[in-house]
Amino acid sequence: MIENSADLTGAPLPTKKTLKQRKNLPLQIWRFFALNIRMVKMIMKGTH
Amino acid sequence: MARVVILGAGISGHTAALHLRRSLSKKHEVIMVTPNSKWNWIPSNIWVGVGKMSTEQVTFPLAPIYKRKGIEFHQALGTEIHPEGSTTSNKAYVTVKYTDPARSGQITNIDYDYLINATGPKLNFAATPGLGPDGHTVSVCTPSHAIEAADKLQEVIALMKAGKKQRLVIGVGHGTCTCEGAAFEYAFNVEHEIREAGVRDLAEIVYLTNEFELGDFGVGGMTFAQRGFQTTSKLWTESLFRERGVTAILESHVEKIKPGVIHYEQLDGIKRTLDFDFAMLLPPFRGVDLKAFNKAGEDISDKLFAPSGFMRVDADYTPKEYEEWLASDWPNTYQSPEYANIFGVGIAFAPPHQISKPRKSVTGTVIAPSPPRTGMPSGVMGKTAALTIIDRIKNGDQREAHEASMADMAAACIASAGSGMRSGSAAAMTMYPVVPDHVRFPESGRSVTDTYGELGLAAHWIKYLLHFMFIYKAKARPFWFLIPE
Repeated sequence: MIENSADLTGAPLPTKKTLKQRKNLPLQIWRFFALNIRMVKMIMKGTH
Repeated sequence: MARVVILGAGISGHTAALHLRRSLSKKHEVIMVTPNSKWNWIPSNIWVGVGKMSTEQVTFPLAPIYKRKGIEFHQALGTEIHPEGSTTSNKAYVTVKYTDPARSGQITNIDYDYLINATGPKLNFAATPGLGPDGHTVSVCTPSHAIEAADKLQEVIALMKAGKKQRLVIGVGHGTCTCEGAAFEYAFNVEHEIREAGVRDLAEIVYLTNEFELGDFGVGGMTFAQRGFQTTSKLWTESLFRERGVTAILESHVEKIKPGVIHYEQLDGIKRTLDFDFAMLLPPFRGVDLKAFNKAGEDISDKLFAPSGFMRVDADYTPKEYEEWLASDWPNTYQSPEYANIFGVGIAFAPPHQISKPRKSVTGTVIAPSPPRTGMPSGVMGKTAALTIIDRIKNGDQREAHEASMADMAAACIASAGSGMRSGSAAAMTMYPVVPDHVRFPESGRSVTDTYGELGLAAHWIKYLLHFMFIYKAKARPFWFLIPE
């Protein structure tokens, strides 16, 4: 442990469910399309 | 007939060149001057640095692309700008020195009607003694640097497999560095590789940064709306560090690096040391060594460039306190205030100030992330300058310049946290605007609904997809222009 390192003890740890969801194929396929749509919207916003 | 010269074939300059060539008829010339023979998709260099990709996967030769598109290519380094011409001619020109092996060292002048300075950064390893591939640390700034980093990483993994504990330090090598996002990505990709190698328990991974808090990324952090609450990139990033067991040392300025030891100072003014077995520390940036001269041959570099070496454009460079910073300080057109036919885009333009709050240690050392202006904003700036030039060539010099301020520009960023089609992960982030505007968005300076973050496998797939999409676009394959910057 490095003495002057940032104190991360208050940072929220993801639950087992959250960690599973991050790798869950059907959910991630859905998130892939949802994120792409969000990013295209942002690109449109940034190039008016 | 008009001639447009572009210095630098990075994301910004190459984007500008392709748009200019697409929109201007063949009677107009588009000339690219760049010292490298290959184009590099820099965001994927972190994967080269962990051995997941080869240099061939992140680069391609520029000459065939420019030949096919009708862009004149000079593999050379721009050294001087003469915006008023010389005593014998009023024609503006740039002086270039060839790096092409066939003409190496030869110097020539190239006239221009319009000039785009997209020279990117000078990797200023010299600012920190012992930093960089010629010193005691590695880098992932270029493909060759990344290959060296991957080789050194394999060496420490082999030592861990032999049962020896190793400390890996990843971060930034100076108090004024930018690109904290790239250091973050590399730290988590290294962590992922070490875990996959089965030696995670023998590795201590330390993220050493000039950020005041995790999640700053040189943009002052972000505030998101998530599940009915506002949360911050600080909380979100700290969660990832805790989950993956990566130690963070914040508020640091690296002073010097000796073999196996980093000497650094923090905001409290205390100078500390950190031993390491492997260190990847990014260098600070400054403008490239480009000079400017007037008609009489007098050095006017101070007029065209800021002390940092970056080009002055239409920003408000009046020194101001952090509390007085405005979104309107940031440039809109990237046009030089001195010469209307010169533009500075991408990393080459001088930002008016940082985005993150600048801080000094109690001893007066500046510890403040510089503003990132790579990737998507860089491409947008290159296109914007190109559109202005196209408009003026077609419709006359009096046409208004096109605008794309970073204070009114959205950005999407994918930060890899490990590679693998089933095991990978990345943080997908969007923000609007890139530079906070506290007049339009009093709460956090940005739209809380448009600023967003999500971690998961899907974001890794997007980063992987973007790798192929942007290389496709840069190769100017059919309908390349439909892919946004």
